[in-house]
Amino acid sequence: MSAILCPFCEADIIEGVDTCPECGGTLMDLSRRIPASRVEGDLLRDRIERLWPKSPSTVSPTATVGEVLQKMVAEKIGCVMIVDQGKLVGIFSERDALVKINTDAAKHLARPIAQLMTPDPVTLETSDKIAFALHKMNIGGYRHIPILFQGKLVGVISIRDILRYLADRIAAGGRK
Amino acid sequence: MSNDVDFQLSLESEGVGEAYPDQPLATTADSQVGNVMQLLRTNRSGAILVCEDSKVVGIFTERDALKLMASPIDYTKPVREFMSPEPVMLAARATVGEAIRKMSEGGYRHLPIVDDAGEPKGVLAVHGIVRYLVDHFPETVYNLPPNPKANPRTREGA
Repeated sequence: MSAILCPFCEADIIEGVDTCPECGGTLMDLSRRIPASRVEGDLLRDRIERLWPKSPSTVSPTATVGEVLQKMVAEKIGCVMIVDQGKLVGIFSERDALVKINTDAAKHLARPIAQLMTPDPVTLETSDKIAFALHKMNIGGYRHIPILFQGKLVGVISIRDILRYLADRIAAGGRK
Repeated sequence: MSNDVDFQLSLESEGVGEAYPDQPLATTADSQVGNVMQLLRTNRSGAILVCEDSKVVGIFTERDALKLMASPIDYTKPVREFMSPEPVMLAARATVGEAIRKMSEGGYRHLPIVDDAGEPKGVLAVHGIVRYLVDHFPETVYNLPPNPKANPRTREGA
């Protein structure tokens, strides 16, 4: 019989208890759910910090679309974060460029990025589980998610980071 | 753990068709690159296969498109000049495991799937792999707190 871990604090818990004795999290509807494989167990246990989120490439909302595109090409990145006075206010990705600019570059290059960015993007904390990021990406169709630490932008993870994490674990047959 | 073996087995036995490949979006090498970019937008697709004589000779992705937006060019030029030639491809009988390895190693987000005659059968996008993995890790869905921030990570008062 596999051990059951509290999904909130990872303490070993006894099947059937209603709350985690360690963190007090409610386990009412979790008692029968045991990860099906070790790869899945890793996903549930490991936190996003384990993916070593890359430092985000940031620009101010007044940066021009042209500057942002140049930056994305030069730094070989798929998205930039738009930060205003230390606060994340938007994200601009390759997909945004394809949909909003396409062959009309000449018309848009001098505009501020604030007009084309996707405002208020979905974010996660470094302490959130990788499984959560996987699901956000699957459901939202996102390729990048900004990562916060105590509310402050510290990084970005991409779908490739998660794929690499999974490929490593699948090759190793589970937890490393 | 026997479930691990099962998962390994399914990765090495299930074909790429299980990982939600997209229908191939294709164009000819002499198509105008501007038209190709608009085709990507219309189809909400991140990549298009460039074909000659029903064979895949290149791939043009939104990454390639981004470069042409950063430094605008004459969009009537043929896509041949801007595509990535001879892309890494998957055989139609390739396994999901093979697809994950190729994608992860090469950093690709789209892999064309071709049959024995080299004709395109589909495009496997990284999102299809993610969806396949989520299918195989059903427990991860249920174990996620509805709002992770609402759950205290330390016992209150402790």
